[in-house]
Amino acid sequence: MRKTSSDTSKTGVSRRSLLKGTAAVAGVAAATQLTGGFPTVWSQDIKDLTLRSTGGPWSHFQLLENMANEDLDFTVQLTPVGLDEIQKRGLTQTGSSDLFEPAYLQMKFFWPTGKFMPWDTTKLPEWDKVVDLYKAPGKIWPDAWFGQGQNPSTVSYTSGPDTNDFVEAGSTQWLTAHPVLHNADTLGIRPDLIGRPIDSWAELINPEFAGKAALVSFPTIGLMDAATAFEAAGEITYGDKGNMTQDEIDYSVERLIQLKNDGHWRALWSAFNESVQLMVNGEVVIQSMWSPAVTAVRAQGVPCIYQDLKEGYRSWTTGHVLPNHLEGKMIGAAYDYVTWYHTGRVGAMFARQGYYVVTPDNTRKVLPEAEWDFWYEGKPATVEIYDPFGNLMEKPGTIRDGGSYKNRMGRVAIWNSTMDENKYLTRRWAEFIAA
Amino acid sequence: MSQRAEFRRAPGYWPRAALFYVYLLFLYGPILIIAVLSFQGPLASMTFPMQGLSLHWFSEVVDPGGFSRQDFRMPFVRSLILAIIVMVLTMGLSFLAGLAFRKSFKGNIVVFYVVVASLIAPSALISLGIGLGFNELGLQSQWYTGALGAHLSWTLPFGVLIMLAIFSRLDPSLEEAARDQGATEWQTLRNVIVPITLPGLIGVALFGFTLSYDEYPRTSTIVGEFNTLPVEVMNTINIAATPVIYAIGTMTTLFSLLVIFASFLAVYIIQKRRTGAGLGIARKAAKADSS
Amino acid sequence: MVRVITSALRYRAALQISPLSLALLFFLVGPVIMIMIMSFYEFTGFMTVPDATLENYIELFTSSLTGVNYLQTLKMVGITWVVTLVLGFTLAYFLVFDLVELRTKLLLFLLCVVPFWTSSVIRMVAWVPFLGKEGIINKFVIWTGISAEPLQFLLFSEFAVFLSYIQIFTLFMMAPLFNVMARINRDLIEAARDNGASGIQILWHVIIPLCKPGIAIGTIFVVSLVASDFAAVSLLGGQRVGTVSISMIIQMNMAQYPPSSATGVILLVVVLLIVGGIMRMVDVRKQL
Repeated sequence: MRKTSSDTSKTGVSRRSLLKGTAAVAGVAAATQLTGGFPTVWSQDIKDLTLRSTGGPWSHFQLLENMANEDLDFTVQLTPVGLDEIQKRGLTQTGSSDLFEPAYLQMKFFWPTGKFMPWDTTKLPEWDKVVDLYKAPGKIWPDAWFGQGQNPSTVSYTSGPDTNDFVEAGSTQWLTAHPVLHNADTLGIRPDLIGRPIDSWAELINPEFAGKAALVSFPTIGLMDAATAFEAAGEITYGDKGNMTQDEIDYSVERLIQLKNDGHWRALWSAFNESVQLMVNGEVVIQSMWSPAVTAVRAQGVPCIYQDLKEGYRSWTTGHVLPNHLEGKMIGAAYDYVTWYHTGRVGAMFARQGYYVVTPDNTRKVLPEAEWDFWYEGKPATVEIYDPFGNLMEKPGTIRDGGSYKNRMGRVAIWNSTMDENKYLTRRWAEFIAA
Repeated sequence: MSQRAEFRRAPGYWPRAALFYVYLLFLYGPILIIAVLSFQGPLASMTFPMQGLSLHWFSEVVDPGGFSRQDFRMPFVRSLILAIIVMVLTMGLSFLAGLAFRKSFKGNIVVFYVVVASLIAPSALISLGIGLGFNELGLQSQWYTGALGAHLSWTLPFGVLIMLAIFSRLDPSLEEAARDQGATEWQTLRNVIVPITLPGLIGVALFGFTLSYDEYPRTSTIVGEFNTLPVEVMNTINIAATPVIYAIGTMTTLFSLLVIFASFLAVYIIQKRRTGAGLGIARKAAKADSS
Repeated sequence: MVRVITSALRYRAALQISPLSLALLFFLVGPVIMIMIMSFYEFTGFMTVPDATLENYIELFTSSLTGVNYLQTLKMVGITWVVTLVLGFTLAYFLVFDLVELRTKLLLFLLCVVPFWTSSVIRMVAWVPFLGKEGIINKFVIWTGISAEPLQFLLFSEFAVFLSYIQIFTLFMMAPLFNVMARINRDLIEAARDNGASGIQILWHVIIPLCKPGIAIGTIFVVSLVASDFAAVSLLGGQRVGTVSISMIIQMNMAQYPPSSATGVILLVVVLLIVGGIMRMVDVRKQL
């Protein structure tokens, strides 16, 4: 990738010495970790610190803030905003927060700005527990799929403490973002209104569902879903659906417009609520969906399936990025926070929402076995399954759609991406909207 | 009564009346639906049929407890404070501008066009631009600084245009009369101009308050680390599909009604007082002057 | 002596206008300048780089998308303007001329204003249970047998967007018309009637000319509100309606701040030109 020479906005010297301080912090953190406590009790004046984090409302909420403030000695303050706003604030209002949690597909916008500093893996005691998806193999299990598009490992590393480039996974100790959550999306369907098995992405463009299909309005994601469908239908074979050439973009957009003119797309949605409403109201019977959105449809008494498909899943992940303006103890607090985040308690809480924190081994230590079996192993529930907010999610006997963690994250066909032809793609997408 | 008996409906009265009431229905339909749906039981969808009847979703908003996804209370307080500041500033600045526009001043056309441009400028860009401006100055925009300014750029054009309309109705002879009777500038302003323009000013205040209270696109990027209520409502749409959204909507409507009611009570009281005090004197003065 | 007074008055006027001017300077002119500067920056595909390039504008003016977007925006503006004008005029006429008691007039006017004071996002979401496939209107349509199938065009369509525009923006046309109509001297109408003018003639030759400033202000409101709307097109149009604002927001969400800024600057200029044209026809300020 592009390598930007170390720019003036970075104060390399002071930063490095600060990071040394952080090393000591992390060392103490690791020590306390061994005794089972949380990695914080190292200094009195840290109590006055407030660490602010900005991210999606799906990961920045009251419950997590309360948990952090119970366990950590400094104050954690979470600010939830939509995905588009995380990017806008992160890029143009970087000073408004001490951590941002963008999606990895936004990393190509965040990292080259030089407004963020890398994490040092040698100072992250839980780093070895993080799955191999973010390391050299780029997959959680050796037999997992690498997936097309922007595999997280490809945008996870930079060459040094002051660089803005991306380098090969595992080649350095410098992380562009510390991974937080991941999950896979697939087609959500209304089995009662479709009445037959669905097993391929090709069904998204099946004329049978004309006027009853929807698409995500985020340009790259919508285009990748459609491309997956075109390819599954045998229309075209893409070099890389997650990084299309102009010709491939042209083909996909022309087909999208054609389908639009045929009245195929009922709507394009951008918010969680919209995707749920479309399904609940029977406006749409097939569309790509987030796993919790499918759960939300079912919570309203409407049958809905997060459909396992033979082509695999489209997956996403988020990570914490560290703004340059952090200094001294604040950097230490940020390291403490992400370390605490991955020790298990948070992982168990997110598991109950259907998301995976990137340190499953630690999650397993905290999550009761019956729940682990349901959320991670894809086994039938043996107990009542509750979400972290106390709502009953599933009764004993039900199986999680999409199967086990391994079935989902081991079969990622494509990663949410930002393509090299980003600018061209955006314009073509706007033409699709306007067609 | 006798007047009404004399009165004959103009031709076309009934179609126009029908249109008016149909329009009212059209206006209120969605809001009534929100209100009704927000009273559903805990296991509810966002559409009909209603699933039970409860105040569950209101309690979610008012007292979410520690295990919640969202806490609307502080965002509400912030939005309230912000709206009040915006309201006061909009009133003050628009009033002064109204006074200035009565006389001609250098560049009045430029100012007028800038006011209109303020109405037109794409909201998302204004917020981006204010944020970049703060960056240039080495400052971090917060809800009470950059966002406050963004709100003013949205409320001021409405305020100024309303004040222009109000002032254009103000008969200059009232002021002259008061002055001729020996009233100072300040007395004329306080006892003549302010009382007469007050209903209009309250209209400006209402606009200022509600436009600010509901503002999202100019606010979202530059509120800093603390969200306002509309930003939090947008978050709800990003994670929830429950009537909690409707409950917030219903409460907002009720709250707005309360504000409007209070304003009109204020107008009523002022008008009652007005018949006694300053204006009476000015009117007498005007009469004496013209005779 | 006279000169001294006028200069004092001028000085006072300058003082009175300065708070407004400063506020707009800081929070409108300043930001717009920032955006203008941004619009000359270079966007590399991922990054914004300070530069002085015309590339964003060249791309904007050579792209066929721009024309399509502007046509769509003008169509939305035009239709909304006509409907809100006719509707707003009729409603204001009813309130001012058909009703007798001031209290009733004000009460009904207020009733029109109240719905404006709810959360706009929620107000739009609320159209879904109303217009949706299983919404109230479609239930009624099927129940009465008007149609066997639910009407799909009601939601996620231009129709739905227009509906929400008309619902919200009619007030912005009606209010200034209410204001100017209330000031029309009834004697003028009586005089015209005594001279044998018909109802239509009075409307056309007396009332409408006197309403021009109100129409102009209402038009300014409606044009600028529709041209810059994003939420309604997105939530009710199912994002299938491509206006200039939509293109601008798509670019912005893909971190393409320079092209997005250029789109916004040109949109601002175009709408300002339209408004300038209106004000050339009607001196809004004089007749306010």
